[in-house]
Amino acid sequence: MKKRLLATVLAAGMVLSCVGCGGATDTASASASASESAAASVEASADAASSEESAPAASGESIDLEMWCIATESDSNRHSYEAAIADVTAAHPEINFTWEAIENQAYKTKIKAAVAADEMPDIFFTWSCAFLGDFVSAGKVYCMDEAYQGFASELPEVMLGNTTYDGKHYGVPLTMNIVGMFANMDLLAQVGYTEVPGTYEDFIACCDALKAAGIIPLGCSGKETWCVTEYLESVIEKSIGADELNDIFLGRATWNNQGVADAVDTFQKLVNDGYFDPEGIALSNDEVKANFMAGKYAFYMNGTWNCADFAANADFGSKVKVAEFPVINADKASLGMLIGGPSDTLAVAASSAHAAEAAQFTFELGKEICHYGYLDGCGLPAWTPYYDTSAINPLTQAVSEICANAKTYVLFGDTAQNADDANTYLSYVDQVYGCAIDGAGFIAGLANDIR
Amino acid sequence: MAIGKKKSSSNEFESKVYSKKMTPGKVVIYILLLFWLFINIFPIYWMFTFSLKSNEEIFGANVAGLPNEWLWSNYSRAMNTGSMGVYFLNSVIVAVVTILITLIAALMATYAITRFKWKGSKPMNSFFMLGLTIPIHASIVPIYVILINLKLTNSLTALIVPYSAFSLAMAILICTGFMIEIPYELDESASIDGCNRWGIFFKIICPLMKPAVSTVGIYTFLQCWNELMFANIFNSKEEYKTLPVGIQGLSGAYTTDWGPIGAALAVATFPMLFVYIFLSRRIQDSFIAGAVKG
Amino acid sequence: MGKEIYMKKTASDRLNIFLFLLPGLILFIGILIAPIFLSGYYSLFNYNAVSGEMSFIGFDNYKEMFSSNAIGFMKALGNSLLLAALSVFLQLPLSLGLALVLGKGIKGERIFLSVYFMPVLISTVVIGQLFLKIYNPSYGILNIVLEKLSIISADNHPIWLGNKNTALIACFIPTLWQYVGYHMLLMYAGVKSVPIELREAAMLDGATSGQVNRYIVLPYIKSIIKISVIFAITGSLKSFDLIYVLTNGGPLHATEVPSTIMIEMLFQRNRYGMGSAIAVMLIALCFVFALIVNKIFREED
Repeated sequence: MKKRLLATVLAAGMVLSCVGCGGATDTASASASASESAAASVEASADAASSEESAPAASGESIDLEMWCIATESDSNRHSYEAAIADVTAAHPEINFTWEAIENQAYKTKIKAAVAADEMPDIFFTWSCAFLGDFVSAGKVYCMDEAYQGFASELPEVMLGNTTYDGKHYGVPLTMNIVGMFANMDLLAQVGYTEVPGTYEDFIACCDALKAAGIIPLGCSGKETWCVTEYLESVIEKSIGADELNDIFLGRATWNNQGVADAVDTFQKLVNDGYFDPEGIALSNDEVKANFMAGKYAFYMNGTWNCADFAANADFGSKVKVAEFPVINADKASLGMLIGGPSDTLAVAASSAHAAEAAQFTFELGKEICHYGYLDGCGLPAWTPYYDTSAINPLTQAVSEICANAKTYVLFGDTAQNADDANTYLSYVDQVYGCAIDGAGFIAGLANDIR
Repeated sequence: MAIGKKKSSSNEFESKVYSKKMTPGKVVIYILLLFWLFINIFPIYWMFTFSLKSNEEIFGANVAGLPNEWLWSNYSRAMNTGSMGVYFLNSVIVAVVTILITLIAALMATYAITRFKWKGSKPMNSFFMLGLTIPIHASIVPIYVILINLKLTNSLTALIVPYSAFSLAMAILICTGFMIEIPYELDESASIDGCNRWGIFFKIICPLMKPAVSTVGIYTFLQCWNELMFANIFNSKEEYKTLPVGIQGLSGAYTTDWGPIGAALAVATFPMLFVYIFLSRRIQDSFIAGAVKG
Repeated sequence: MGKEIYMKKTASDRLNIFLFLLPGLILFIGILIAPIFLSGYYSLFNYNAVSGEMSFIGFDNYKEMFSSNAIGFMKALGNSLLLAALSVFLQLPLSLGLALVLGKGIKGERIFLSVYFMPVLISTVVIGQLFLKIYNPSYGILNIVLEKLSIISADNHPIWLGNKNTALIACFIPTLWQYVGYHMLLMYAGVKSVPIELREAAMLDGATSGQVNRYIVLPYIKSIIKISVIFAITGSLKSFDLIYVLTNGGPLHATEVPSTIMIEMLFQRNRYGMGSAIAVMLIALCFVFALIVNKIFREED
């Protein structure tokens, strides 16, 4: 039963390569026979995993490999990195492995600086699509095609869509995540809801009821604009449909789109109607998340990587449910259109002295990080699981079910667009959240300022 | 800009002119002074108390009082996340080396400007004084590109060199104030004794410039102790982070748990304040000397 | 700088002058002057930070800087000028007042002086983090005190750093708190250097202490005030650390200053060209204001 579910999750994952990055056309056609091949690879992977361990060391010499990532001690992925590194380094005594974790925002600056300076570590964490794309087009990333041959049976090629440029693979995906609408069922029960509202009208009615009962419906950090996009992009996607939004993100269509303007107005109405916590604008995401877990908000829309932290909290874990954001315009959008996809990626520097070994090592490490990350509830696996997944927390399992019904994924707007455009976009999202501009101003401004 | 040599305080005179009796005006002044004193001390006091409290106490039970339960564990948590000791040491090394370099370069340049007769001395002085208004941050891109090409990012040198350059103008300004007060006859007699220019510089001028050392030191220290932007961008490796960068990172790790953040802030602050308490008179006098000589 | 020259010029002096100036010049030209010209050069290019590609685009960066709503340079410039005005008209008078009172010599002068100077020695990042806690809407000491004093109600705590109307002022307060002591000590030094005879003479002529301050002390310390004004203005134009820690330009760009925009351009958007253009504007502004201040003080004479 579990395996079937996972196979369908992967089948859904296939679709994302259709909407992935620039040069990812090769993999798109593979999606036809998706579910069979994925199911088959589940069977195959168990053997592959065991034979892995006995792989002979490449040479007697010890080599140094250094890795940078963002799994700091407060990051929910920390444990999966530590466990995976312990496993893989134990299997490779010839490799002298060191790693360093840097806080998310600082990391973005640091890795770009290192790329510009040709001082990259051998292995580095990156976001897929545009972020990695900048480095690839600068010729700074090692092509993984050769190393991938040994892992093709465990890592479906479709999962590489977001890290494939001009038909070549440049990254090892770890976990994939979507935006989920988390709900505190205790608070919803107080206004008579036993389930997460399934339609938009119902959602609004629920928010009104919550407000009337003195409960803040929505929590969102205004200090970190990406948190606002988790809401806004869901609203836009459920208004104009996934394909249109994706075309806009990838520069194939203009921002000058009346549907987007209307969707932005819809979102702004949520703000103006006072559904959001007004204090959120000055809080960081960590603080908002802590408030949500303390029962201050009924809903919190954010990445499904949060499942791990929510489920691990004995008190809160039983109260929270995750659901898909409801459809706003049924003519253009439907359930199953999701925001997200495999974004967390490890890549190897072209400048690495041992790039080939590093690539091999990265695949093994990525597989294990994915393994532990999935077990911990940090996201869904990009790799085909070969292990018992029944102990995975119910929230993450609920996310798998949502993904099992997925039709299309649109990658997070700030990952899909290149750095300059993404920041222009975030700047306008900021202004929407602060009600400094409306939908018309949003599309006009972006159409004008995106170069 | 020289203001005059007189800096001796004049307590006898003042106590004569300003009588000790309390007038209503004086009471008001004292109240205002004490109020400002309170404004200055209270945030520091509050930081210290919340560094020893749990969130429950900070958030309601005991907002401003001394901790009910002294949670020294906040300090061990702050010290164990990241490496406060390393950050502190780096900051000290950067400050000390920067001060040394600045001082040597400034003393030499000031010597050339004030004690040689040449046409360019005035323009040269004005040229250096341009540095007083150039914002350090504005040259970040070229410096960064240069550091990258020299493979000097992630080193303390990457901070020391720019900091020294940006402290130079102020240091020359201060050194000039001190150096022109050294009688020229000293140089003259030394030169009659057979000392050359370098001998005069090292044997006569430098020893007499001792008071300038602490003044330049303080101004330079204030500039590089605080700097965040360069330190944040040029150095990303843990072992080269300075205190401001380290603190900023640490507070990212404990956004919702105030105690350890407070502890980290206290660790970064109190050693300096202790030094200051013991040397406050000296530090102030040196700072004042800078203002007067400058 | 009245100086007597005590030695005859020799041929080796030329070399000596050069050698004595050398360390300073290398530092100064290499790290300050050359980068200004390099920045000016980069600012004419579309220079991608990651790939290192450069293409010449003339003054397009400058045009975009002033026209793009997403960059918001004018808004940032306005913010930093407002900060400068607040510094000059609020912070400096406060410092001057303290310096005059303490400089006159009152009981506890040294203690006041020492405490007022204390914040100067605290790292700006620490001060920023501390004020983040002080301003925290729910648990910060500021709102708790205001609530106790019944100035605000318990269910309506102001969000000082999150409201675009209060955020900039909220960012200014820590600067004020930190640097009043700095300027005070500078001015105090000036006040203390006023020759006793001058004061004495004025007092004997029957001048009140206000008149002494106005006609004797202030003119005497004018050059120090000028330096303070220049420092306050250029300091505001280049303000970065506190804003970066407190708001990083938000909410809604309400606290954006040129330095924060510059850093965003450089390291979030990978645009070295645009970042350099902003840097050039910053340098130009600092110079212009320093010249203006100099001129104003000269005309006063």
